[in-house]
Amino acid sequence: MGKILCATRGGEVSYRTQDATIALAQERGDEILFLYVVDIQFLQKTAHAVRPDVVTAEMEKMGEFLLAMAQERAQKQNVAADYILRHGDIRKELTAAAGELNIDLVVLGKPTGEESTFALAGLEAFAAQIESETGTETRII
Amino acid sequence: MIKQNLKRMSLVTILSLGLALVLLYNPPLLARAERSLADQGPVSLVGRVTDSQEEPVRDAEIVLIINGNREALLSTASQPDGAFMLDVPAEIVGDIETLTLEISRPHFASQVLEIESDDVAHLNRGESLRLPDLELARRITAGFWVATFTFVVILVIIALEKLHNAMAAMLGVAVILGTTFVGGAINPDLFIFDFEQALEYVNFDVIFLVTGMMIVIGVIEETGIFQWLAYQSYKLSGGRAWLLVTILMLITSVASALLDNVTTMLLMTPMTIQIAIALGVNPLTLLIPEVLASNIGGISTLIGTPTNILIGSYAGLAFTDFLTNLTPGVLLAQIALTVYVLVRYRAQFLGGESGLSEALLNRLRESGRITQPVKLRQSGIIFGVMLIFFIVGESIHLAPAVTATIGAVAMLLWVSPDIESMLKVVDWTTLMFFISLFIVVGAIQEVGLISIIAAAISRMVGGNLTAAILVLVWSAAFLSGIIANIPFTAAMLPVVGFLTRTIPGASNQVLFYALSIGAAMGGNSSLIGASANLVAAGIAERAGYRITYKEFFKAGMPAMIITVAIGTAWLFIRF
Repeated sequence: MGKILCATRGGEVSYRTQDATIALAQERGDEILFLYVVDIQFLQKTAHAVRPDVVTAEMEKMGEFLLAMAQERAQKQNVAADYILRHGDIRKELTAAAGELNIDLVVLGKPTGEESTFALAGLEAFAAQIESETGTETRII
Repeated sequence: MIKQNLKRMSLVTILSLGLALVLLYNPPLLARAERSLADQGPVSLVGRVTDSQEEPVRDAEIVLIINGNREALLSTASQPDGAFMLDVPAEIVGDIETLTLEISRPHFASQVLEIESDDVAHLNRGESLRLPDLELARRITAGFWVATFTFVVILVIIALEKLHNAMAAMLGVAVILGTTFVGGAINPDLFIFDFEQALEYVNFDVIFLVTGMMIVIGVIEETGIFQWLAYQSYKLSGGRAWLLVTILMLITSVASALLDNVTTMLLMTPMTIQIAIALGVNPLTLLIPEVLASNIGGISTLIGTPTNILIGSYAGLAFTDFLTNLTPGVLLAQIALTVYVLVRYRAQFLGGESGLSEALLNRLRESGRITQPVKLRQSGIIFGVMLIFFIVGESIHLAPAVTATIGAVAMLLWVSPDIESMLKVVDWTTLMFFISLFIVVGAIQEVGLISIIAAAISRMVGGNLTAAILVLVWSAAFLSGIIANIPFTAAMLPVVGFLTRTIPGASNQVLFYALSIGAAMGGNSSLIGASANLVAAGIAERAGYRITYKEFFKAGMPAMIITVAIGTAWLFIRF
């Protein structure tokens, strides 16, 4: 049984990618590892005093909630799924996770509109980068 | 005994009358007597230096040249109230023929004043002399353009998020002081102000109040109170989204008024997203109303927003002043905002259930619990006492900064007695931002930009208080949507101070409240208008719900117009 790594933010725009990954896992007989990356870079935009540790803890809770939702979606369709939560920049953490966790396939969600983090061209370049750095097959679905 | 006293009094009276007669018929002796009086104390030349707006000019160099001899001169500097005093040496009193006064100051045209002969005669008789106010005309120097350009660039950098706010403000300080010390050595016109003058512009009331509140909030936010409140709202609403959003708006508004709107949104947003998912509604339909309410709620107290802290410290407004003069208006604005939100999002609020599993509901319940009940109880007691001191402090001249500092120390000693905690909860970059901002704003004040703006607004409103209120509220509201409202407010304070002193009827400080309403409510008009908007958007984006500029504008701009209109109406009712 192989392992598919699917980075997700958990919102409605991620459901399409999650569903496509679940379908792919069913087809291949793989399990899914959902990844959520806690990134608090946006705090740089405020001139107010904030406690990064407290905000990080809240973001972790939210991330785990969203990952648990993704896990339930997979399990409802009889696909084994687990999740991990990492901290930092999404590109670096996704690449690192692909290299460290014996991943067979990395899936990236195709940009669907203004809610997407990446533009298609940028995403293709990123997929190529993951493949070259980790040797892991990477697909945009 | 009585007879003896009468004899003594008669003797004194006779001697006095005799002395008076001698003096009356012997003028040279009178002059000698005046000289002798002068010997007992200095003969002084006093005056006051003002600018063309009759504002005092401090640190002006005043040089007095006696009898045209540049080697025999006296010099002094004007005080913060513009006053100066020169003591004429006793040995030359009586021998003065001409007196020339030279007044100079960077960013002003120097002035030379010949003292009139009648006034010189006064001094020669040993009498001190009070000169009429001396008015210095502003001069646009190269330093003016450097300081102005630097300030504008900082606003742009912050608005475009090219650098962290603190970094942008510190860059401004480096440019201004670098220009003064390096450029000023090459061309005196590049001088802006020296380091000592720069530090005089730093408002340490604000620094201590902000630091104290950082510690207090930093301790409270660890307890899980915000998350508990959000979860209780969910339970209380019974799954009705319209009721949930109303409760969440009320909570964020009150929490923002008492603590800080950015902290409130940082801790409420992740929980709100989870609750929205549990209810099956788009999280943005809860988050955007929450952040709008948070920006408005902060206005009701001195500590609710950084702009209010700046305004309160500058204008000497107490905690109760904000409660009395702004809170009722804020309540009216909140009611209107709630109605607006319920109408705007009515379709989404009628959305269905998400059918969340029991495991996920348990997770939500777990996220919404008080994590540190003992710490919450202790910090709640301290914060309650602080609120009492904020309210009654005015009557015992207890500055809010002192209350905040005492509260912070109590928090650290009783609740988190560990120096590491203190280092963790104080955000030094924010403090550097404020210190640097004060220096940059001081620079544009020093070179005369603030005076020019004040004069322009004064001309525009023509001494009409109603016009001044309208101009201030609405210009602050619209500009806050484009540029960061903290630097904007800091720069506007001296302008509002000038208008308050010069516009009839403005002495009740209404214009400061107008600035408060405009700067804070204006933040609702755009995504970059307030830090709370950006942190809520930042967290939502990481959950896959992006708040776009367009979407926020469509919801926020009408809300801003409605609430600012109500705030303005309240000011007219109250004042």
